[in-house]
Amino acid sequence: MKFLKNRAVLITIVLFFVSIQLYSLNLREKSSQNFISGIVLTVTYYPQKLIYIVSDKVTNIWQDYMDLANVRQENIQLKEDIKKLRVEKFESAEAEIQNQRFKKLLDFKEVPSYPIVSANVIGGSPSLLRSEVVIVDRGSRDGISQGMPVASSEGIVGKVLTVGNKSSEILLITDPVSAIDAFVHRTRVRGIVKGAGGECTMEYIEQNSDISVGDKIISSGKEGFFPKGVIVGTVTNIETKGSFLSAEVSPFVDLESLEEVVIILKSNNIVLNE
Amino acid sequence: MNKYLSIIFLVLLSVIFITIQTTLLSPHNLGSYYPDLNLILIVFLAIFSEIRGGFFLALGNGYMMDVLSGNLPGTFAISRLSAYLLVRSGSNHVYLRKALVQGLVIFLATIFTWIFILTIIKIKKGDSADITAQSILIQGIVNALVGVPIFWMIHRINARFQK
Repeated sequence: MKFLKNRAVLITIVLFFVSIQLYSLNLREKSSQNFISGIVLTVTYYPQKLIYIVSDKVTNIWQDYMDLANVRQENIQLKEDIKKLRVEKFESAEAEIQNQRFKKLLDFKEVPSYPIVSANVIGGSPSLLRSEVVIVDRGSRDGISQGMPVASSEGIVGKVLTVGNKSSEILLITDPVSAIDAFVHRTRVRGIVKGAGGECTMEYIEQNSDISVGDKIISSGKEGFFPKGVIVGTVTNIETKGSFLSAEVSPFVDLESLEEVVIILKSNNIVLNE
Repeated sequence: MNKYLSIIFLVLLSVIFITIQTTLLSPHNLGSYYPDLNLILIVFLAIFSEIRGGFFLALGNGYMMDVLSGNLPGTFAISRLSAYLLVRSGSNHVYLRKALVQGLVIFLATIFTWIFILTIIKIKKGDSADITAQSILIQGIVNALVGVPIFWMIHRINARFQK
């Protein structure tokens, strides 16, 4: 250790070059998943889960107290909502029957449904460098594997990046590494939705395509990764970028305050890390 | 025996700090205004700790950062190890008992690790990883402000084990 202490600058320079080589090697292998990563995730799972449980309890107690103050007004509102929902339920059932009939007429293929596993977000990235990562309390023992798509009730969230025994890391769609084949719901115009740190951009949209602010973007399912038709976000701005159009997309899911997600147990061989 | 207790204490502290940094103080929620407890601990190890395993603790702490932030293995591990070695080497020549100097060392270690990482990314990928100089400076200041009282606290607890 004395040797290291006396030659710190020299060793730092050597480490710098080692780091460059290691980075190249990792870029080529394109994976951050290894045995030790799994151990680190498992070791940190228990304290993370403990903090999650305690903070969840505290938040719930506070929320219950706040809710109590508005309960009477909320009760009246809920009764009104039930009335509306009953009407909507009836209309929806009618539409479903009609939909089934049309599908038979058009000989539609059913979109395959996949089993899902729900998970709680128990942590986030500890660094500014790739802060668009969250940690969930499900791992390989729940059938999770690297690359599985992750969504919430509101839309696409991201993909599984690293898997531990009891917890996993999710790479959010807003991370610059993330890319999803998607199209505009209204006009079926296609493009690639890439992460841009907190936001997304839809790129490679052909010039003169019919796309406007407010359009909903959904996954195309073409890359064989995300199931088709899951909502990604809403177009907030459009600009010309070279010979293509580029649209800013605001994710539908509030990724900053994500609490629960569902992991779609759809295996594939796509590796995520850049 | 005390030496082993000290190592166990520092290992436990590493896990506690990284857990807090991934939950309550995650930059996913706080942006640039989060204290990098992991780096603060590494600087502490370099300045004060007399245990032999400090080198490996620094490496392990960096590796935990790599895994939990989803970065390629080595990104933080090697940069933090380098910061550990430089601070440890420099600690012989600088009087580090004053809070102001400790704060300055934490600040400089923060800047050094970011320059180290961003230079490698720039060389290998050609882009600048979307982290501004402003957010690095903010983090350096936050680390310095939070780091000094943490140093005082760990130093007091750790001193009991090292007696």
